[in-house]
Amino acid sequence: MKTIGHNAVVACIVTAGVVIGSYAATAGAAPNEGSGSGFVWKDGAEVYSKVCAYCHEAKVGPTIRGRRLDPLYIRYMVRNGNRAMPAFRAAEIDEEALTKVAEYVSKSEIDRSGGATQ
Amino acid sequence: MAGKFIALPKGVSEESFAAAVAEFRRVLGQDAVLVTAEQLAPYIKTMMPVPDADHTPSAALLATTVEQIQQIVGICNQYKVPIWTISTGRNFGYGSAAPAERGQVVLDLKRMNRILEVDPDLCFALVEPGVTYKQLYDYIQDHRYPLWLSCPAPSAIAGPTGNTLDRGVGYTPYGEHFLFACGMEVVLATGEVLRTGMGSLPNSNTWQVFKWGYGPYLDGIFTQSNYGIVTKFGFWLMPAPPAFKPFVIQYENEDDIVEIVETIRPLRISGVIPNAVVIAHALYEAPTKAKRSDYMTGPGAIADEAVRQIMKDHKLGAWNVYAALYGTQEQIDVNWKIVTTAFSRSGKAKILTEQEAGDDPAFQYRAALMRGDMTLKEFSLYNWRGGGGSMWFAPVSQARGSETLKQMAMTKRILGKYGLDYAGEFIVGMRDMHHIVDVLYDRTDPAVVKAAYQCFDELLTEFSAEGYGTYRVNTAFMDKVAHTYGPVQRQVHKTLKKALDPNGILAPGKSGIR
Ligand SMILES: Cc1cc2nc3c(=O)[nH]c(=O)nc-3n(C[C@H](O)[C@H](O)[C@H](O)COP(=O)(O)OP(=O)(O)OC[C@H]3O[C@@H](n4cnc5c(N)ncnc54)[C@H](O)[C@@H]3O)c2cc1C
Ligand code: HEC
Repeated sequence: MKTIGHNAVVACIVTAGVVIGSYAATAGAAPNEGSGSGFVWKDGAEVYSKVCAYCHEAKVGPTIRGRRLDPLYIRYMVRNGNRAMPAFRAAEIDEEALTKVAEYVSKSEIDRSGGATQ
Repeated sequence: MAGKFIALPKGVSEESFAAAVAEFRRVLGQDAVLVTAEQLAPYIKTMMPVPDADHTPSAALLATTVEQIQQIVGICNQYKVPIWTISTGRNFGYGSAAPAERGQVVLDLKRMNRILEVDPDLCFALVEPGVTYKQLYDYIQDHRYPLWLSCPAPSAIAGPTGNTLDRGVGYTPYGEHFLFACGMEVVLATGEVLRTGMGSLPNSNTWQVFKWGYGPYLDGIFTQSNYGIVTKFGFWLMPAPPAFKPFVIQYENEDDIVEIVETIRPLRISGVIPNAVVIAHALYEAPTKAKRSDYMTGPGAIADEAVRQIMKDHKLGAWNVYAALYGTQEQIDVNWKIVTTAFSRSGKAKILTEQEAGDDPAFQYRAALMRGDMTLKEFSLYNWRGGGGSMWFAPVSQARGSETLKQMAMTKRILGKYGLDYAGEFIVGMRDMHHIVDVLYDRTDPAVVKAAYQCFDELLTEFSAEGYGTYRVNTAFMDKVAHTYGPVQRQVHKTLKKALDPNGILAPGKSGIR
């Protein structure tokens, strides 16, 4: 999708005597759009290096690689958070990426460098 | 609670809500409408001293297009369902990704995350709300654009849209983020789409280069507000300077804040020091290198002697002033001379550069923030007391030494009364200082949670009694802070709300506005 709003979405909703016209009344200033599609995670290592590593390789969170942690436990921690560990929504780490990162962390070796990429 | 949903919006029946959910699913698809406890768990974890139940959402909607959002507001108007919009949803210490009120539906725009434009000549970006700083950082690196970001401390996982809409701050010369915002696209409660400033003009190419447009400037009313849903956000980027010199200046005593602020203000207002300077207390920096339990056990606030010992063991000042110079080497050399002369006058300051402090973990992350690099090191704060409790107490101060000392002393006294430590810093200002205090407490201990709540309440009461207002607050205290700004402002906010969102579907309660 390049630009929005040129085809008018007209959906008139009548609620309690209030008429709400919902229409795409954007001005024509279409931005010169850069990247075509949104962001998608490549693999577990990418999620780890671009998110987890900033804390778990920086002494903010405990070491989690090389401990053979149960992927189910990792999943639980990521979705629910715990005390100082924030929770991550499926909107940012989708189910597939979560499965991959849990597996990546669970199977990883402690001495492999997977620090934050710059 | 029995029933199909883990929470319901205020005044909406289960049947009616189920009908709204069915409509949301028609627009977004089954998988993009979350309603189960398991799916909503990440929206429920907050750091506030109130029960999670108070801020439990009824659903979360993962929208990706403007058209979807227009349809969602149509459904919300029809069923009187309130939505709480988040962009990257990392508002830690201010309410995280949870809604202001129980039962609100979270409109989560994290997946609406295209980088629409980065212009390396005019140095601006136009992004969708779900773009993180990290994503933009990588994009800039991949394209080898000589541009720098300005990020808040949770850089890697937060994003420019949400941060700026809440009027957040960073640490580069562009650190007061809303000053550098330029053009928004906003879905209104009617479903109409507004482009602010020059964006309203068909075929304009100046949307991201001229902020004001024509007529009353509107962007401000969409920050810290609930008047619209921002779907595109433009802002300026800093050209990468040829040289960068971060430094820290340490002072031994808490009273030295007076000298620090008096010395720094003229340098800051005149632009000799161009960036959002930080004057960080020892206890703000200590968590990056020390463990509290090595110095203090048992309840109560940490003793001053223990803080002195930490300073000694970990090479910290009572105050640590982080700032940087940017420009060509010649410019930096000239300004460095001005800075060192000013700070050397009293003989109290210890001035350290990358040469002396480059290996220090606190210096490293501060230097990273001052050049807009990714780091989450500041989350070390959460290990200080442990237990995941945090609220930002954020009063605004004049950039005047006597005022900052007074605010520090008041804050420390009130925190101490409740057994909490003063982990504070003063940031950003030219003429102002955002006094930022992380009220850290153990959220797993009910007695401590209660004390933290009372403490925060007292901080707000006492500060407003002295004429000090807070610039931003967590969702449990928004009404209280709105009240401190008086009835006239509140009424104007309400009048605008009624005009723009008569059914009150957008984020009721945000900044105390309903
Ligand atoms: C250790 C630590 C350090 C921190 N340091 C800083 C710091 O240096 N500077 C700072 O500013 N903050 C700081 N914070 C607080 C916070 O985490 C950041 O401000 C963060 O950027 C906010 O989250 P976000 O960017 O994901 O915004 P979001 O959570 O997406 O949005 C913030 C709020 O803006 C509104 N909003 C968001 N999107 C929209 C939209 N599309 N339309 C309308 N309204 C919207 C909502 O009210 C939302 O709650 C810190 C937090 C921690 C834990
Ligand atoms: C903002 C910092 C931060 C980020 C980012 C982060 N974590 Fe954590 N994590 C922590 C902290 C801190 C703890 C310890 C929490 C506590 O006990 O208070 C933790 C704990 C954990 C634990 C439990 C470890 C144990 O010893 O039992 C797991 C598993 C975990 N994190 C996984 C992850 C994964 C996977 C990611 C990336 C998707 C991630 N974390 C991202 C800070 C972070």
